[in-house]
Amino acid sequence: MIEQLKRELEATFKGVSVTSEADRRITVVVDPLQALAILRFFKDRGFSHLALLSAVDLIDKHAFELVYILTSYAEDTGEDAVPGELILVVKSMIPRDKPTFKSVISIYPNAEPYEREIHELFGIHFDGHPRLTPLFLERQYPIPPFRKDFDTRRYVEDVFGSIPAIGDEEG
Amino acid sequence: MDRNQIAKWFKEPSKMANKYSLHAIYFCTGCGIIEVPPVITARWDAERFGVIPVATPRQANLFLITGYVSVKTLKAIIRTYEQMYEPKYTVAFGSCPINGGMYWDSYNTIKHLDKYIPIDGWIAGCMPRPEAIFVAVTHLWTLIDKGMANGYERYRKYYRAYRRNQELALGKLEWPPLYPIGEHTEGGECD
Repeated sequence: MIEQLKRELEATFKGVSVTSEADRRITVVVDPLQALAILRFFKDRGFSHLALLSAVDLIDKHAFELVYILTSYAEDTGEDAVPGELILVVKSMIPRDKPTFKSVISIYPNAEPYEREIHELFGIHFDGHPRLTPLFLERQYPIPPFRKDFDTRRYVEDVFGSIPAIGDEEG
Repeated sequence: MDRNQIAKWFKEPSKMANKYSLHAIYFCTGCGIIEVPPVITARWDAERFGVIPVATPRQANLFLITGYVSVKTLKAIIRTYEQMYEPKYTVAFGSCPINGGMYWDSYNTIKHLDKYIPIDGWIAGCMPRPEAIFVAVTHLWTLIDKGMANGYERYRKYYRAYRRNQELALGKLEWPPLYPIGEHTEGGECD
């Protein structure tokens, strides 16, 4: 199954590297321009479930890596059905100084909260997302707090450390 | 009831009644939720000590904060605390409310809870055993006896400073001040 998928993928797209470091897991590293087409390709092949969308800040390489983890349900039976236990990891690097990517809501609708979360915590903008409004955070941060150059220790000292204790002064 | 305490009951009946009927509201933030169910159920039966869980803050006079406090949770904690009737006692459970614990450099966790609401007792540990709640409760009895569990009085006295700290952490608060704070009130609301 893995071999067949690999052959089909390499026949359809150019410059895609497919590796498989575990029995049931395939890692596909793709160019950001091709990413949407490849995700659609996999959805048509039976990977109907986006299990996770996350981002990694690779500050040394000046890039963000977006990681899409796709699986399929075992009851998806059909000609091109894949076994349910297969896990597909699609990775795509985008430049750190221009963090913009296309939204995949049109392919996987459940990516909506994931993209909002990544937009809030990493500052990556998703084109075509209907509402990139704040999701979790209450406060305003100087830069998005999950980026590697966000200095949490100094932020804590500046913000929480500067709040005075009660009882030092008269109320 | 101890026979030796009969004199105390006649002298200060309300204080004694408060002491032995601590109606607790548990604010289960984080991992303390694991310790609380065995405490209130048969294994460690908190009702032996007069501690029972209640449904709403309006019926409670013991506020247990069990675990780390994120900025968003702090808002709910302040609102819960302000809804409780006096006398009210607060016990912070675990090391996270004391100084942040393992979240001491987290961007989104409140470090010292006593800067925002008054705390009467601390239970150190990560996490403390359920027995520690009873140690805290018996210690709280002593504090109530001596009149040292006066967090709600401190809250009233230093309310302006507490409110200022709450605003520093949360920005503009959506609810009006619990007690008059003078200069910030506008439009003749102050009494």
